[in-house]
Parts: sequence; structure tokens; C-alpha cells
Amino acid sequence: MQTDLKQTPQPPIKKLEAKLLPGEIVVNEVSFVRKCIGADSSHGDLWGKLICTNFKVSFITHDALPKQRFQVANRLLGEHDVPLACVEQVVTVNDAKGKQKVLCSNQKLKFNPTELVLYCKDFRIIRFRFDEAGPQSAKKVCLAIAHYSQPADPQLLFGFEYIGKQYYGSLGERVNGVDPGGGLQMPLFDRPSEWDREIKRTGAAEWRVCSINEGYVVSPSLPEYVVVPVSLADQDLKQYLCFFTAHRIPLWCWNHPNGSALVRMASISDPLQQRKLDQRICSAITKSHPQRSDVLKSDLDKNLPNIQDIQAAFVKVRQICVIEPFEESEEKWLSSMESSRWLEYVRAFLKHSAEVVYLLEGKHVSVILQEEEDRDLSCVVSSLVQLMLDPHFRSLTGFQSLVQKEWVMAGHRFLHRCNHLKKNDKEESPLFQLFLDCVWQIINQYPAAFEFTETYLTVLSDSMWIPVFSTFLFNCPQQRTENSMDFAKSKCIPMGEEKALRFPPVWDWSQQFTPKDQALFNNPMYVGKGATCVQNGTVKSFRRTKKNYSSTLRGMPSSLRNILMDGHDSLTLTRRNSLVPRLKPDFSQIREVVESPTERFFRDWVSRPADLQGMLIPQLLPSHLALWRLYFLRWVPEASIPKGGPVTAYHKLSQLADEVEKLQSQLRQYKGATPASTPTSNPSAPPSDHSRMYFKAGSTHEPSSIPEYLSSSFPFSPVGNMCRRSILGTPLSKFLNGAKTWLSTETLANEAL
Amino acid sequence: MLLPKESVQDMAKDVTYICPYIGALRGTLTVTNYRLFFRCMDREPAFVLDLPLGVVSRVEKIGGASSRGEVSYGLVCKDIRNLRFAHKQMEDSLRKSIFEILMKFAFPVSNGLPIFAFEYGQVYPENGWKVYDAQAEYKRQGIPNESWRITKVNDHYEVCDTYPSNLVVPVNIPDEELKRVAAFRAKGRIPVLSWIHPESQATVTRCSQPMVGVNGKRSKDDEKYLQAIMDANAQSHKLFIFDARPSVNAAANKMKGGGYESEDAYQNAELVFLDIHNIHVMRESLRKLKEVVYPNIEESHWLSNLESTHWLEHIKLILAGALRIADKVESGKTSVVVHCSDGWDRTAQLTSLAMLMLDGHYRTIRGFQVLLEKEWLSFGHRFQLRIGHGDKNHTDADRSPVFLQFIDCVWQIARQFPAAFEFNEYFLVTILDHMYSCLFGTFMCNSEQQRVKEELPKKTVSLWAYINSQLEEFTNPLYVNYSNHVLFPVVSMRHLELWVGYYIRWNPRMRPQEPVHQRYKELLAKRAELQKRVEELQRDVTNRSASSTERAGSPTRSITPVQTFV
Repeated sequence: MQTDLKQTPQPPIKKLEAKLLPGEIVVNEVSFVRKCIGADSSHGDLWGKLICTNFKVSFITHDALPKQRFQVANRLLGEHDVPLACVEQVVTVNDAKGKQKVLCSNQKLKFNPTELVLYCKDFRIIRFRFDEAGPQSAKKVCLAIAHYSQPADPQLLFGFEYIGKQYYGSLGERVNGVDPGGGLQMPLFDRPSEWDREIKRTGAAEWRVCSINEGYVVSPSLPEYVVVPVSLADQDLKQYLCFFTAHRIPLWCWNHPNGSALVRMASISDPLQQRKLDQRICSAITKSHPQRSDVLKSDLDKNLPNIQDIQAAFVKVRQICVIEPFEESEEKWLSSMESSRWLEYVRAFLKHSAEVVYLLEGKHVSVILQEEEDRDLSCVVSSLVQLMLDPHFRSLTGFQSLVQKEWVMAGHRFLHRCNHLKKNDKEESPLFQLFLDCVWQIINQYPAAFEFTETYLTVLSDSMWIPVFSTFLFNCPQQRTENSMDFAKSKCIPMGEEKALRFPPVWDWSQQFTPKDQALFNNPMYVGKGATCVQNGTVKSFRRTKKNYSSTLRGMPSSLRNILMDGHDSLTLTRRNSLVPRLKPDFSQIREVVESPTERFFRDWVSRPADLQGMLIPQLLPSHLALWRLYFLRWVPEASIPKGGPVTAYHKLSQLADEVEKLQSQLRQYKGATPASTPTSNPSAPPSDHSRMYFKAGSTHEPSSIPEYLSSSFPFSPVGNMCRRSILGTPLSKFLNGAKTWLSTETLANEAL
Repeated sequence: MLLPKESVQDMAKDVTYICPYIGALRGTLTVTNYRLFFRCMDREPAFVLDLPLGVVSRVEKIGGASSRGEVSYGLVCKDIRNLRFAHKQMEDSLRKSIFEILMKFAFPVSNGLPIFAFEYGQVYPENGWKVYDAQAEYKRQGIPNESWRITKVNDHYEVCDTYPSNLVVPVNIPDEELKRVAAFRAKGRIPVLSWIHPESQATVTRCSQPMVGVNGKRSKDDEKYLQAIMDANAQSHKLFIFDARPSVNAAANKMKGGGYESEDAYQNAELVFLDIHNIHVMRESLRKLKEVVYPNIEESHWLSNLESTHWLEHIKLILAGALRIADKVESGKTSVVVHCSDGWDRTAQLTSLAMLMLDGHYRTIRGFQVLLEKEWLSFGHRFQLRIGHGDKNHTDADRSPVFLQFIDCVWQIARQFPAAFEFNEYFLVTILDHMYSCLFGTFMCNSEQQRVKEELPKKTVSLWAYINSQLEEFTNPLYVNYSNHVLFPVVSMRHLELWVGYYIRWNPRMRPQEPVHQRYKELLAKRAELQKRVEELQRDVTNRSASSTERAGSPTRSITPVQTFV
């Protein structure tokens, strides 16, 4: 929320106390701590109390930040709080002794820290000074943070305490049949009816819901209900399942209106069975196709980077974006970005998905995505394919149901990939973040095609580090059930009641944000399904008219325009993909252009105006991919554009969209009025808080100045995050360079801080 | 179908255009005194290539006749593309090949022919030559005032032949002294005012390097003059001199009689070097960039290839220099003097970009035209030499993409502030395209004096006449005119990016798009439509209630909750 210099200053006598959630307890705290705000001086730093709870690192202060700033407020967290699950690394420093140490769980610290730096998973870097604090308490807090940010057991994740407390707190309510956290208007795919609806929605007549995994009896990593070809009986499946890795039988994902199906599948572990089984599965899928089309298999392990590659790329890109000193990294910025390979991988996933889109849409065949375990790469590819082909998934609820279906239910190991327990670094991999980046790339190219904004994607990613949501806490639905039962036992919650231990999914956004802040998720440009035009109006269609800069002579006087328009149109014809090796400027040899059917398919599509309610294929020249700046750079003070960035356009669009909305509701009010009656309330009065837009239409006058808090980091603020300038030339700057390898190092003497 | 005064010079059938994206296309090639026009009818719809000859930098015959008896020609273009054609060897060896005709009209200056701009007689509603009126622009800035006056000393371009006739100088320096200052500044380009801050009175002044030479010559007049510039701003007792060059280059200029201000001689002045390289470095950088982006982009090393061209690094240095100037003036309330060697390349980039950041007027369509007319055209950026209009000498060392860099910088700033400019990307591309096309007189000649002498306003059409005749095309719908909105872009590689909409536009895999603008326009249209309907209904209701007031009862109406959107 917008926190101006506090209007009503707190009475200074008031005690600094942590605001706690149900089940949250204070572990350790230390007073007279300075949170570093300024880059080079202590000017503007905040004084307060640093508290470690079983959920978060909290800094409580009466001081206000020096600059007016904007920060979307999270209902679960205070302004300066960091959830422990979000802490990537705890670094303690004693500058007098010239020592620093990366703290792990259950470690000793041989010096009294004068400084604590927290490197966060959401890319924040936060720095505290203990110059005036009690050395022992400071040390204790540092150790506590290190310890509690590495829970030994999933059940020590705060979410369990939280829902346990909520269970007791809400007993009365439940008796009255109120389901806390319920009332969500989207499918979670944990019951057969929701799969049935999805089958109907996509017209997958020859597919059925199968419940052989009810109670997770056949495969612990599969959901209880899966969709399979009608021609495969439960008996057949039971016979086959033992040949699949982890008993993961093929899962139906989606049906194309032309009848082609998208299916995901684990590898067949028994090589002897491979051919036979492949044949059976394929023929079953073929039978489910109205035209009996072929089935093609796409081997993801062969064609895409693996999870370690992706993790390595992510570590590097984060290193470049937030850890390396700002100025020093400028010179080699582009080649560093390239060598991180992050954008290359983003492109690889988009490209692979686009090729699958071609098979489904262009060749009318069904596609099986095959991956060893079908729990990582398949999640990314299957969701991207569906986003490209089905506009339903570009709406907010559609997108959420997609994540629920292809990630949560399909058994993506969020617990391991997030490394919530920080136990197994090899298992850590930002597959989901990679997926979000891919989605952002498509949004960036087709900004009116999605109902949600990049802020939504960013906030969704941040929610991974708040360990109370079922979405991101477990490796599969079965694990959630099992852990809940164990926890219920340990808390003496009666058997049968453990179902009431409901980990809320992240999708109920009111848990984290006010309705007003949730409006930040809404894209004012979205052209939804119901984008019918104003009747009798000038706006007939929201189809984008094609603009071409290839010849700026386009706008010549009409006499001239005719021949040139011809030229203009013809340029659309030249839109072709080319596999020709790059020609030397000296006009050396020219080879014949060879175009694959896929390339031709993409080229044909690109040459037509995009229908935002139809198939969307991202453009994939290397120059088309961009760094997702909001996500990677929002906490970097030096990279923040004051009063600039895409939000300044969003601001204006949002106001206009709000105005349009208000006019529409006025019209509805008029229409609703019976012909004879006059509306009681003045229809020109807007229906107050129903607007979907964050920035409301103001007065007709243009504002005389741009809101101070708008910046390229909006709705986040880098104020209070550490400026890399301050560590320039200090060993701290090298710290995360080989952070993981440094973890074992006891202490590191360094050349003078 | 030709432009006024455009005439067909030659036409050849069975010419092959070898497109790097599609492959060989056979068709008819027409050459006029303005353009090259290729049409291939084999395809549906017909493939057409339409290129103003002014864009052509070089035409070369490639190799001898091939076995098939074909000769091929390559056209290197100034707008980041190369074209290749092939056609049958002329049987009649006396007859000139169409490409020889093409060469004649592509390089009219080298062939004693007029540039097409002097023939083109299109009439537009507005006379674009009237867009810029120096006196009116200075008046807008509040000049003359108590500290600054407009001098007529250069009325006949006698003090400085590359400067405009209207110059703004400190009030207390008489014309005679100006002439002595001119003697100490390269090419007589004395420090004159470009822009004054409406509140603090801090100024941006521009000039060329002082003629210090190896012996460290001084000029009391020049020293006094800079002091006067400083004194004209009561807010600060300091003056910043921004030398655009790397310090090494500035020092090297002493050998040629030039150099930079020593801080001993100029009390209260602080000299800062901005490290921007010269026209030759920039030309080389663009050459490399073209190799990287045209015709195809290498899949695997895009970013490091781009980095190796140093193009964005140069853009960054220019923007960083302009930002420092703007920051000194706005935040430091301090006056600045900007120069490089001659003060017509890097200096023009820096002052115009700083002014664009400082003054929202220049971010409007007409204001930007004024900015170009003033800082670039009237102050003698040598467009004729830098672009080489109609000149076949493509290796001329005076050619350099200085102005392209400036437009690139503008695009970069507009990327960071999408609502701060009244014009859109298409406007910038159009300016660049017509800088090369030789259709308009705007970018002809090297100085105001030459333009007056050539009677350009009388004999040619201004680009602004064309642009202002269809402003809708060039308008950014997201523009918000905030008052006193100074832009401080973040000059970092993290935000700079290659302007793909310009450099990669020939690649058919680029789908040029402005969906945000498009969507905004659609919303505007929708709002207008809805407003109309609401007003109609309001009228209806008013009429009805006026005619039947007695029927008032408890009104029943169902209001559907606002859920659906757009």
C-alpha cells in the first residue's frame, strides 16, 4: 500500500512488538538495530527491533522511510518483514575483526556480528547493523534466523502451525458449515466432477475420468482422479501401470477443438514392455480422436535443458541482476546475460511448446509429452501449449486452474524444487519461475491477450516463499494428505477431522491482499471473450490492425498511396522464416531457402493479424526475448526508473478502462430501468468499489504531475533494499559468487571491510 | 502513379531480386529519378520492393558474367539493408544496363543532376518551413531577459558561417567582444545559449573547443565571456564545462591548435570529459551492428554479438552525458557549457537530449521539430556530409550515423517513459527514412547559411509539412502532458535495448506492433461511443420524466452487478 510519511505518528512510548499470525511465536529478538536504507551513508536508516519468529524475520520500527514510496502490502507480512522460507542465505559480518560467515542451521558463530545481510529468494538483499545493539542478543537472533530458515522436517514449515491454529480457531464456524478458505470460483481438480467439466469444455468426448488412484493406492505422485481414453478400461490400466516410472500412467491434459489430444506421460521403465505398451497407449489415444489421427511423441528430456541446467542459469542471472556491483557489471552486461543462458532456456521452452502447438493445430495429430518422471519439464511445456492454444487459460481463473491442473495435481515437486527445507540443493530448480518468465514473454508480445498483469505473475512467484499455501508446499497431493494426517495426529486432532486441516491454496488472494490491491492483477487492455463491440458503434472489432514500419512512405498523399500500399501489402508476403545462413554483406553466395513445414506454419500465422482469442504463437528470434525487468530488477535501487517504466502506460490505460467500465455500468442501469420509470439513483454516480481497475478515472482534468510513487518497480519499491554501491569493492560483493561452495567454510577473514 | 515531377528513366523485365528471406524472385525493375521499383507478379499478392534512391549508399557489380550470362548487382543501403539483383547481360553492349541508369540517379550530386527534393512539388496544407522561428522559440523561453539578449552580429553569417543568424548571448558582452571570442573558438563557434531553465535561470550553452594549442594559449575575452555566462545565473557560483570527448582525444586536439579549457584560466569552472567517441568510431560501430542484424540474426550468440558492436555502449555514453547535463541544470541549478571539437556532432546530441529531458515542450510533435530545427539544423550539423546525399563517394570519412544515434537515444528515453512523448516510434522511423530519401529539403545542406543560399524553403518541401498533414499517424495516444516533468532516464545496460523496430525491421520474422497504443485507441473510441449513448439515454429519461411526472411510483429496476468487462 501507499505508505506516505505516516500521517499520525505513533506515540514514541508505544512498545515495538511483532504482529503475529495464528500459531506464530517469537523466537528471539534484539533492539536498537539499524536497517540500512541509504547507499553510502547511514542517512535515512531506520532504527528498530529485529525479531525472529517461527514464520518470519520481522523488523519493527517507528521510523518512516525517508522517501515516499509505494509498496503493495501483504496481509500476512509487515512492511519490513521477510518470511523465513524466503531467506536464501544468512551472512553475518564483524567488520572490526574483518570476519564474515554464511550461517547455516545449528552452527556456531565465533564472533559477535556487527552486521547481518539477508539474501532473499525473491531477490531482495536486506542489511541490518548492530552497532548499538546488545552483542549477545544480536548473535542469538542471527543464529535463530539461520536455524529457523532451514526446517528439518516439512511439518516444521510454518503452514502447519498456521492451519492447526486456524482449525481450533474456526471450530465454531465449521460446525455451522462454513468452509474456511472455500468459496473459490475455480476448479482445483481434486474431484471427478471438475475433470468432467474440463472434458466437456474441451469437447473431449472419447475421454473419461478414471478413479483407480483414489486414495493414492496405485501411484503416490498422481492425483486421485485422472483422465484416460475411453477405450482403456481400469483393468488395462492396472495391468500397465507397473511398467511406468513411479506407476505414472499417461495423463490427459487438453483437447484441441479438432479432436487432437495433449497427453503427458512418464517413461516406460521396463524396456521389454516398451514397444508393446507404446503401441497400446497410442492406439487408445488414436481411438479417442474423432478422425483417428496419429499420435506423435515428444521426448522432452532429449530436447530441453534439465533441471540442474535451469537452476545454474537462474543462479547466474540472479547473480548478474542483483548481486554483482551495479557499475562493474554494466560493461559486460549483454554477454553475461548470454552466458547465464537463462533467456536461451526460456526461448527453448517457448520454441518447443510452439512446435507442439504446430502438431496439434497444424497437423491435427495428438501429442504425448514424454519425460522420465513427467513431473518437471512436462509441467512447463503442457501449460505453455495450452496457454498458446486455449484463450480460456489466459483469463485469471483459467490460468489458475491451469497451474492447479498441470503443476499441483500433476505432482510437480514444489517442496523439493523450492528447496523449502534447504536440505537438497541438487533438487532445487526454478521450473515454475521459468514458466512464469515464458508466460511473461508472451504477455510482452501480446499485451492485450491476457486478463492478468505482470504484477500478478510476480506476486504469484513471491507467494512460493510464504509457506502456508498448499499450492507450493508439497511434492504431490498425496504428500499433502499424508502430512496433514500426521500433523493432525501429533496435534491430537481427531481422526476424520484432519480433512478440516485445510491448507488454503494460494488462489484465494484475499488471504494476502485487499480487494483494492488485487485490482493490480487486472490488465486494462485485456480483450476477453465477451469482447463484443459496441453495437452501431465505430468499434467493430478488437482485432489489431497491422502496422508495418518497413516502409514509412505508407502515409503518403492519396495519389501516391495507391501504388505504395501495394508495396506495403506485399511486404506482408515477404514475412518468411529463413533458414539461410547469414549472408556476408559482400553479397557472397546465396543459397536456396529451405523451409520446414513448422517454419512455414509459423510464418503463415505471423503474416496474419493475430486473433487474441485464438491461437497465439510467440515470436522467437533471439532479439524477441527480453529480460523480465519487473521480476529481476524490482529490488535494485539503481535500476529503478523514477516516474517511469511500463506502469506509466498502465496508469493511463487503467484510468481509461475504468472510465469505460463506469459508462457501461451506467448504461446497464438505464437499460435495467423499466421504460416508464426514472432511475432512483443518479446513474452518473459510479458503482463505488466494484471497479476492476487499480487506477480510477479521475477528474476530466489531466493531473498536473505524475504520482511520485510510480516507478519501474511499481508496485514494489527498492527503497530499503541494499544498494550494491555500498558493497562495491568490499568482499561482500564477492559473496554470493560461489555462495554454495562457501557454505562449508567456517569463517572467512578478509581484506579490511 | 508517380510523384509530382517523378519520371521513369528505365525499365527492365526479367530481373531477379535475390531476397535473403524468400530467395530468388523474377520480375520487372523500374528506375525513376526518385526510386527503384521492383515488382514480381509470380506471387499472390504481388511482391513489391519500393526504395527511394537516396537510401542507396553504394552500387556494385558483383563478379563477371556467370555461366548463365547473368550479371549481378549489389546495393548497399543506408538504412541497414543490402539488396541484390541479377539480370541478363545486355546483348547490345552499347545499351546501358538499368543499373548504370540507377547509379546515375542514385548519386545525382556526383552526376551533375539535381537532388529530387528540388523537383518534388507536392503541395501540403502547411508550410513546414515555418515550424521553426528562432525568435519565437527564444521568446517561449523568456528571452531576451535581463541577462540574455539576441544579437544580430551573425546576421550575414560573418562571425560564424556554420551558426544561425539569431544568437543568444549574455547582455553585458558587446558584439565587438563576441568577435574576439570567436577568434579563440574553433570555426568561430562561440558559446551561445541553447536553453534556459524557467525558474533557476541556469542555462545550457554550446560552442566548439577553445583554440588553446600546444602552448596553452589563453583568451581574456573568452574567460570573461564564460564568467558572464556564469554570472547570468544567480543561483550558482560555478560553471560546468562538459567536453564530450574522451580526455585523451581532447588533449590530442592541442596538436591541431584546439584543446580544452584549463581550470587555471577559467576560475570557478569545472571541466568534465564525457568520453564519447568520434564520428569514425561510431561509423565503424554501426557497420558492425549491420553485420550482426542483417539479414539474419545468429541464433546462438545474439547478445554477445550485439555487445561486440559496442553500439549500445556508445548510446549509453551519449545518454549518460546528456543526463549529467540535465541533472546539473535541474538539480544543481548550475549553468553548463557543452562542446566537443567543432560543436556540431556530439555537442548537438548532448544539448538536444538534455533539453528533451528538461523541457516537456520538446517532447511534443511540434516541439521536437523545433528542437531538430534549432539544435541540429540551424547550428550546423553537417547533414549533407554526414549522410552524403546523392554522393557516390561511400567511403567518405565524413559520413557518420551521428543523427541516427540521437534518434536511437530518443527512442531509448521514450521506452523508459512511455507516456512522456507526444509522438510514437513511427514518427522517429519516418524522420530517419526521410533523412535518407531526399524527398524533402529538411536535411539538405550543412548549415543555415547554405540553406538560405540554396533557397531551400522556396525550392523544396519540408518534412514537417508532410508529417503535420497527418498527425494522427504519429501521435502516441498514451501521452500525458505533466507540467514540469523532468525525465531522468536510467542510463544502464539493464534498460537499454536494441531498437529492433528500426534495425531489424527488414526481417520478416519481426512482427512490428504497437498493440498497447492500438488498444488505447480502441478504448478511446469505445468511450466516445458509450458517452454518446449515455447522453442519449439521459436525454430520453429527462424528456420522459418531464412529460409524465405523475407516473412516479416506486421504480423497479434490476441492476446487473458489474462483472463483465469490455
